Amino acid sequence: MTENAIALVSFVLTLMVFSYMLGDLPLIRVLYRSAVYIFVGMTAAFTLVVSYEGLILPYLQDIQNSGTSWTTLGNSADVIIFFTALLFGALLLLKPVRSLTWLTNSVYAVVIVVGASVAVVGALSGTLFPLLHTTVTIPEDLSADFGALVDRLIIFVGTMTALFYFHYQTRAKSGAGAGQSRLGRGFRHIGKVFIVTALAAIYASTILTSLTILSERVSFLFQFGAT
Amino acid sequence: MGSAGMAAFVAFVVGVTTILSLLLGDNPALFGGVPGSDELARRLALPGDVLLRLVAIVIAVSIVIGIANLLFAHIGRLARGKIYSAILLASFAFTIYWTITNKGDTSLLEAVQVPIESALAALLFVSLAYGGSRVMQKRADVWGLLFVAVALIVLLGSIPLEGLAPVKAWSDWLMAIPVSAGGRAILLGIALGSVVAGVRALLGQDRAYRG
Repeated sequence: MTENAIALVSFVLTLMVFSYMLGDLPLIRVLYRSAVYIFVGMTAAFTLVVSYEGLILPYLQDIQNSGTSWTTLGNSADVIIFFTALLFGALLLLKPVRSLTWLTNSVYAVVIVVGASVAVVGALSGTLFPLLHTTVTIPEDLSADFGALVDRLIIFVGTMTALFYFHYQTRAKSGAGAGQSRLGRGFRHIGKVFIVTALAAIYASTILTSLTILSERVSFLFQFGAT
Repeated sequence: MGSAGMAAFVAFVVGVTTILSLLLGDNPALFGGVPGSDELARRLALPGDVLLRLVAIVIAVSIVIGIANLLFAHIGRLARGKIYSAILLASFAFTIYWTITNKGDTSLLEAVQVPIESALAALLFVSLAYGGSRVMQKRADVWGLLFVAVALIVLLGSIPLEGLAPVKAWSDWLMAIPVSAGGRAILLGIALGSVVAGVRALLGQDRAYRG
């Protein structure tokens, strides 16, 4: 495709998507929805191509090469793993067959649990322990700088009270010491300040990002219109 | 053992094997100076490695099945006269044809995918700005005020004007201290939630695979 053709198609599709801002008129709706359906169809096609060329094809080429091996078990184990995975994939198609539900559910179990295990190990070693460590550790050189010490203290208090804010508890029956203590409510309010501040900053950063993209698109439309 | 019991048993065995393998495998330091610790660590990493390979291929096959399901659903919708499904199917078919006949050519991606994605991301600005104005209309309390005030300080702080230097300093401090604390708490909350959800799946309490 030539540069001009790419620019023309981009121009038309950008206008089709931006037509959403004009309101819910019948013709406008056709333009916007057409662009979205083109996008979904193309995304599905690219996803299919990437999963075939990036995952299935390399694995298929690997098992055909007896010199390579994914594990220390050798190439023959790779062949078994590959065809077991294909069998598992085929078993997923048998979900509507009621008598084989135990089999498809077991395949789902393997996929979900391996994913969950990776998530657990990743959350523990990649997020939980490092973040807790950096939050509670006070660097040695802070003793000379009072401002930095206060900042560290604010981060510590903010993180802990915000975590406390996530603590949910059901309200006990009325008259049986229902609700939280005044101290607990105070911690929750302090935590909420930090959570709202963080969410507002994330919101502002997202606005800035989308504004940058919007200005790039509008500038492209004007540039193309001028040529 | 019923269908749910069988799936829960498989989940427990596979989950415990994977977690132990990921935590203990390929880490000889865990076993100190015990002779043969390298070999032991390598052997412990093997089950996790095999299971991850297996699941990676199953997920790739699942993606193909999912896309086939999308196509069949839209063929059904097309048969009921939904014209937009024809656009989706034509777009899909054309992309596959283009990818096969023009190997390595990214011009279709540049001409269609990138502009639509960028334009949709740009539309997000309109939705976010509208949402921000609604916050103050619907929630004119101290939390709504705090939200808008912080958002305004961060937005104004990003403008490179000399007159706004004090706001920039405020914005930098906000991002470095309170936002960092709140962000850490959110990340820790997500990590704790992931651990709890993972352990629930491991113990067979997840409804997704229990039928």
